[in-house]
Amino acid sequence: MLVLGPIGFLTPWLLAALAALPVIWLILRAMPPSPKLVQFPGTRLLLGLRDPQPVAQHTPWWLLLLRVLAIAALILGFAGPVWKPAPEQAGQGPLLIVMDGGWSAAPDWPQRQARVLRALDAASGQGQPAALLVADGQAAGPLAFQPAGELAAELRATHPAAWETRYPQDLDDTLAEAPASLSTLWLSDGLDHPGRAALLSALSSRGTVTVAPPQGVGLSLELVRGDQPSLRLRSTSGAIPPAVLAMGLDPQGAPRELARLTPDEPVTQGGVTSRDIPIDLPSELRNRITRFEIEGQAAAGAVVLADDGLRRRKVALIGDGGATEGQRLLSPTHYLRRALAPSTDLIEGGLGDVLQASPDVIVLADQIGVSESEALLQWVDQGGLLIRFAGPRMAASERLAEEPLLPVRLRAGGRDIGGALSWGDPRGITPFAPEGPFAGLSIPQDATVRAQLLAEPSPELAGRTLAQLTDGTPLVTRAPLGQGQLVLFHTTANAEWSNLALSGLFVQMLDRLVATARASGEAPEAEATEETFWTPELVLDGYGRATQPQNPVPVAATEFARGPAPGAPAGLYRAGERVAALNAGGQMTLAEWPGATIENATQAPGIDLRGWLIALAALLFALDALGSAWLARGRSGRALA
Amino acid sequence: MKGQPDQLRAGQLKAGAEAATAGLPALMLSAERLAASLTAGAHGQRRAGAGEDFWQYRPATQGDTARSIDWRRSARSDGQFVRDREAQVAQSAAIWVSAAAGMDFTGGPDRPAKRDRADLLALSLSLALLAGGERVGLAGQPARMGRVQADRIASGLVTRQALGSDEDAPPAEALRPGQRIVLIDDYLGDPAPVLAYLHRAAGMGVQGAMLQLLDPDEEGFPYGGAVLFRSVSGALSHDTRDAGGLRAAYLARLAERRTMLSRACMTAGWHFGTHDTAAAPSQALMWLWSVLEG
Repeated sequence: MLVLGPIGFLTPWLLAALAALPVIWLILRAMPPSPKLVQFPGTRLLLGLRDPQPVAQHTPWWLLLLRVLAIAALILGFAGPVWKPAPEQAGQGPLLIVMDGGWSAAPDWPQRQARVLRALDAASGQGQPAALLVADGQAAGPLAFQPAGELAAELRATHPAAWETRYPQDLDDTLAEAPASLSTLWLSDGLDHPGRAALLSALSSRGTVTVAPPQGVGLSLELVRGDQPSLRLRSTSGAIPPAVLAMGLDPQGAPRELARLTPDEPVTQGGVTSRDIPIDLPSELRNRITRFEIEGQAAAGAVVLADDGLRRRKVALIGDGGATEGQRLLSPTHYLRRALAPSTDLIEGGLGDVLQASPDVIVLADQIGVSESEALLQWVDQGGLLIRFAGPRMAASERLAEEPLLPVRLRAGGRDIGGALSWGDPRGITPFAPEGPFAGLSIPQDATVRAQLLAEPSPELAGRTLAQLTDGTPLVTRAPLGQGQLVLFHTTANAEWSNLALSGLFVQMLDRLVATARASGEAPEAEATEETFWTPELVLDGYGRATQPQNPVPVAATEFARGPAPGAPAGLYRAGERVAALNAGGQMTLAEWPGATIENATQAPGIDLRGWLIALAALLFALDALGSAWLARGRSGRALA
Repeated sequence: MKGQPDQLRAGQLKAGAEAATAGLPALMLSAERLAASLTAGAHGQRRAGAGEDFWQYRPATQGDTARSIDWRRSARSDGQFVRDREAQVAQSAAIWVSAAAGMDFTGGPDRPAKRDRADLLALSLSLALLAGGERVGLAGQPARMGRVQADRIASGLVTRQALGSDEDAPPAEALRPGQRIVLIDDYLGDPAPVLAYLHRAAGMGVQGAMLQLLDPDEEGFPYGGAVLFRSVSGALSHDTRDAGGLRAAYLARLAERRTMLSRACMTAGWHFGTHDTAAAPSQALMWLWSVLEG
């Protein structure tokens, strides 16, 4: 390519034809002009006259200039002019194209393909062989170099993967057939991935490496599991990120946007800005959410699929198994079931059975002398939430003081207020402390407690009280045990001692308590000894679109725990009753490119002027035709003569 | 579709002709060879007939009505006398305007086509003659008197179709003794038919005038450079690289043509005049007028 100022020529030898322009000028000038046609009645008098001295008349200079300019435009046009041509691909040897193939390359994948196509075009124009390495972890074997034109079809068939970019592990094997000297074009997703530095140094040692950085901002969305699951939005730019949408089924069953989440304050570290996004939604709404996604970001890493960990807590309800049908409305478990069923998954049964199901919460209603207390103690110690309710059976127990798994020591015998034999009236509930779990709940005026179990006074009592009656006696107490918690309602879960169970407050209090329970996301660890296989139910492609897996291949739990990988794309997986999501988004680290040339993303590839110049030539020829017609006007009838 | 503009044009032409003839005195053609004329004119025939002037008293004969008897003359004698008037016949003039394709030529937008100028002159002359009581008609058509005839001549001039060819000749078979002929043409075509016509007219004793009507371009030949000359009909063409160099030769040929026509006219007792469309039409009209009056 010949570059003259801002214009480069692809076939500069054609410019030699410009030297012929003066000759063309002379030839055009010497051509006799067409005679003017004049109607003249006296033509008969002219017949037979001879021209005294024929004068060669020149073509008008402007017509001549027009023609010469048109020819010059044609010559320049065919010489392949390019306005501000992109710098040529470094190196002249074989071309290796490395495309980061993970989800982080998905948003601008078409642009990447176009960039690679351009490089392939240029390489095939120069006869260079080329090879394409899509770093999605699926490539195997040595890279095959072939004529660049044949790679275009292969390129068009590529798609980003629903996992992180993965570079070949065995570089010696991958580059076994690569020539010793090659130039590399690396379409990076801007992030660092394992093995990148090794690949970069291996390629740098063979020739120049040109890096095309991503054109957009890299965004990822991650679910932070915990007692209060939240989202973490990471961005490679400090700018305000797009909104995060909670998508789910509306009550009619149609998928739609359920909520827009607002992020917290950004924290920037190492060029990556992360924002925590609390999922502060009513449990009804939260249970309907199927996925979170970053608005307008088509990448698997911008999608978080909702699974068990985000959804319902498993609550085990252990009541008195001997309740008959006639006593149903008197049973404490009835009220608990009605209160918990909408927002949780309820398990009922004996304590030994429910512990097998690894619930998040166990509710014991008026149970004394808990059987298998060792297993229960271990469960609470590992993070379980045990909620107990008092009742006549506990009040009647003589060994109440020795009862384990209670947040406070209880005084034997209940307290009866407002009964026929008592002095006082039933007591109301004082407003909740602003820092407690019940903060902000409004207390109905008619919620009163007639009977309760009293705690032994102790220094810790005040700190363990979550709610108390108007006389200062505790209503709800809580105490930590290991990683778990013990909660006691000092009254019954039915309407026997209190009408609290009849009010909406009861439901809200239970919801709040259940929400504090630790999500048992890692519960399967208990069964790590036997290999669990997770079967994909729904997989994401690199663009974050959900599809049904064509050939679902079960994934071993150990591999599953390592995150999305070539065999296990991001998606929803099921193992028995459990459903877990494998989400692609996660940690982001900006990549650095020592020793490589970084392409300016904003630089245009150069404007091809060929079409314009040929169009200009055509226009000039059209003008020439018009001008000639104007000169020869009136000659239309010459054919008749 | 074509009638409307033609009527308009006939009206315009007549109005223009009336304006051009407004200043002319009444024209009376000299009455020589009147007796031999087959067509009557407002000239004394020196015999009794229809007319204005007294010719003779004659005795009333069988068939004279009582009204025709001149009672004043009869009272002076016993017989009844009838007052005869001198027979009067109008002189007749025929006007011919060439319809050759070349007559439609005009060299510039500032001047009329030759045919338009010729039509104007023909009608002006007709009006003047009609106003003098003459019988006027287009050559080949009957000559009549009166204002109505002016309308007929105007429409005849306008509706006449231009010929496709460059040649047009006056109709020699329509020549009548005693006629006055006015020929208006550019005489740029083949001169032979015109010369033959003149010869025949001279043989019949018919007198007249030839007016050569030319465009200034035809008289001045203002061309230069490479030009393809073509006659208006397209039948003749001449290609030249240097039209300017041909000017002298062309003008010489034009002068030669004029000399030939002028000489032929003198021989036949006719008059020959020239006129170009850039000049005022009254010049040509005055010349025609003076020629016909003489």
